[in-house]
Amino acid sequence: MSAWLEACIARADDNTAGQSWLAAKRQESLELLRESPWPTRKTEAWKYTPLRVLQGFSGGAVGSAAVVDKIDDLNSIDLVFVDGNFDTEQLSVELPEGLSVTRLADADRATQAWAAKRFACIKPERHLFGLVNDVLFSDGVIIDVAAGCTIHQPIRVVQQLSEGAEAHTRVLVRLGEGAKAAVIEQCDGNSESFNTLVAEYQISAKAELEHYRFAFQVDKAMSVGGCHFDLAERAQLNSTLVGFGSTLSRVDVDIHHGGEHTFAKFNAIYLLDGRELFDLHATVEHANPNGRTIENIRCIIADHAKAVFNGRIHIHRDAQKVLAELNNRNLLLSDHAEINTKPELEIYADDVKCAHGATIAAMDEQALYYLQSRGVDRSKAQVMLSFGFINELVDQMPNQILAEWLRPQLRQRFSQMEVS
Amino acid sequence: MLKVKDLYASVEDKTILKGLSLNIKAGEVHAIMGPNGAGKSTLGYVLSGREGYSVEGGSAELDGKDILDMEADERACAGLFLAFQYPVEIPGVSNLEFLKASLDAQRKMQGVEPLTATEILKMARAACKQVHLPIEFLKRGVNEGFSGGEKKRNEILQMLMLQPKLCILDESDSGLDIDALQVVAEGVNSQRSPDRSFLIVTHYQRLLDYIKPDFVHVLADGKIVKSGGPELALELEENGYGWLNDNACEGQGA
Ligand SMILES: Nc1ncnc2c1ncn2[C@@H]1O[C@H](COP(=O)(O)OP(=O)(O)OP(=O)(O)O)[C@@H](O)[C@H]1O
Ligand SMILES: [Mg+2]
Repeated sequence: MSAWLEACIARADDNTAGQSWLAAKRQESLELLRESPWPTRKTEAWKYTPLRVLQGFSGGAVGSAAVVDKIDDLNSIDLVFVDGNFDTEQLSVELPEGLSVTRLADADRATQAWAAKRFACIKPERHLFGLVNDVLFSDGVIIDVAAGCTIHQPIRVVQQLSEGAEAHTRVLVRLGEGAKAAVIEQCDGNSESFNTLVAEYQISAKAELEHYRFAFQVDKAMSVGGCHFDLAERAQLNSTLVGFGSTLSRVDVDIHHGGEHTFAKFNAIYLLDGRELFDLHATVEHANPNGRTIENIRCIIADHAKAVFNGRIHIHRDAQKVLAELNNRNLLLSDHAEINTKPELEIYADDVKCAHGATIAAMDEQALYYLQSRGVDRSKAQVMLSFGFINELVDQMPNQILAEWLRPQLRQRFSQMEVS
Repeated sequence: MLKVKDLYASVEDKTILKGLSLNIKAGEVHAIMGPNGAGKSTLGYVLSGREGYSVEGGSAELDGKDILDMEADERACAGLFLAFQYPVEIPGVSNLEFLKASLDAQRKMQGVEPLTATEILKMARAACKQVHLPIEFLKRGVNEGFSGGEKKRNEILQMLMLQPKLCILDESDSGLDIDALQVVAEGVNSQRSPDRSFLIVTHYQRLLDYIKPDFVHVLADGKIVKSGGPELALELEENGYGWLNDNACEGQGA
């Protein structure tokens, strides 16, 4: 066992954080954590993502976190967490009807009743850092959208970290039957810090969730977290993940088709530079018939950066008539950049359609020529096409205002990446 | 304007153009017709500088400048424009961004001030209107999901914006409905001027009813085998290309 994990466990013993209704859950996670081996290079799920950088991190926040900017015109309901703690001061808007936001510590009996059942259950396979979050979270919110309600304002959960901070924030979201809402998770930070943001989503029958996760930590801001979704019958998910790399960035996305006729779309973009690392593990469980999944993962890697993508699709024996598509395209801008991509299909049902492809994309010569034939020189054309390669997924984001906000940031980051 | 002399060109070791000569003066409209596979599109690609097409002999000059040594983008900046038979789709790059990049590049090369975003948008809107494309098409990915006819109109839109000196239109009329055909023809006619020339590749006399060419050429087996006035197009419409095999008719560029 590593010193880091040992310290975690010691702290967990002290962490009561006031949520006695979750005490049993936490105890269970703590026991699992005690038995968990620390990943080594031989541990498949962590093969390309060394955790040794964590060993040198001791925590202890200095200074204060930057203020989170509002997103113009988005009119979002912002839930801001500073160094892991919910900053109620920054929640100024009145919540629309049908939406409730409750701190874990303030949950009433009715909320506790259902939330305790969902807590730490959406991802079927336990995850080391999910367990760490279970036992160490200091604060968190429950977002509940009443059945049949459509929340027009996006709900934005923002993580701000100051230098040296360690944050374990927990978010539990429930969309009632037929409800519709958009949730944005945003993690910022560029100074040395560590966070494990875990968000769990229960999408009830016929409900529709629009979801974004912007993992914008860079440099020494480390993050290992996840978002996990459970879809009931006829539920729909449209999720977009955008990631920049840092010394340690890992996200586990889990989509569990828990009912029939479900639909999940998951797009991910990552842009990596320098010696950054970004590791995405996406797991899709089709436990029921007639479900559909579309995944598009695109990544541009420059310099000595390293990208990891593990895309697992598991179609259970009774999950007939499932359609699943997984497409992973990567653009390498340098010979030293590295990509490790591994689609894993496990199909136990016989009447399914499942397609996957992973490619290291080359420049489309025809498109280059088309641009050149209009006067654009070759190197500019290459830049335009590379950006277009990721922008195509930005174009697919359902929220145009968010897309407009995101594009210049991606452009900015992309413009700093060098072709070599 | 354009002087092509005894041009030989090949693709993948197959010689397609076999001694093609063509002379287009400023302000003239030339039409090229000819059987499938004759080398019409190849001519457009070779002149525009597409990679993979190698010139084995002959010359091509635009305004007295040898273009065969130039990169594709330099030729565009020198005033050459090719409206493609099969325009490429570029998802993720918006039509407007594409137009802006093209205009910026060309103006930079020509040493003129770049247009402002507002000016470009204004021009683009007007061009959309002229080719009957809704302005929403400016936001969409280049040709992404456009119908065949919409792609062709988008090519004309680019021509209107870029104001080239020499416009080569490769079957801009194929796959168009009657209205779209008129839109394309009007687009061309609106641009006719004493210092702009056109080379129009088509299979159908119909387009030439709207755009009156000064000369019509027949391209077969990699060279111009017959040249004449507008009446040649009518003749071809009536008789087809069967005669090509009967008499080895030597043609000459006008
Ligand atoms: N990449 C290639 N490899 C091999 N042959 C090619 C290639 N590109 C073109 N050709 C051949 O060159 C010849 C001329 O083609 P081109 O497209 O120029 O004909 P075209 O006159 O435009 O015909 P169409 O009227 O059908 O458009 C054809 O026989 C074609 O098969
Ligand atoms: Mg052709």
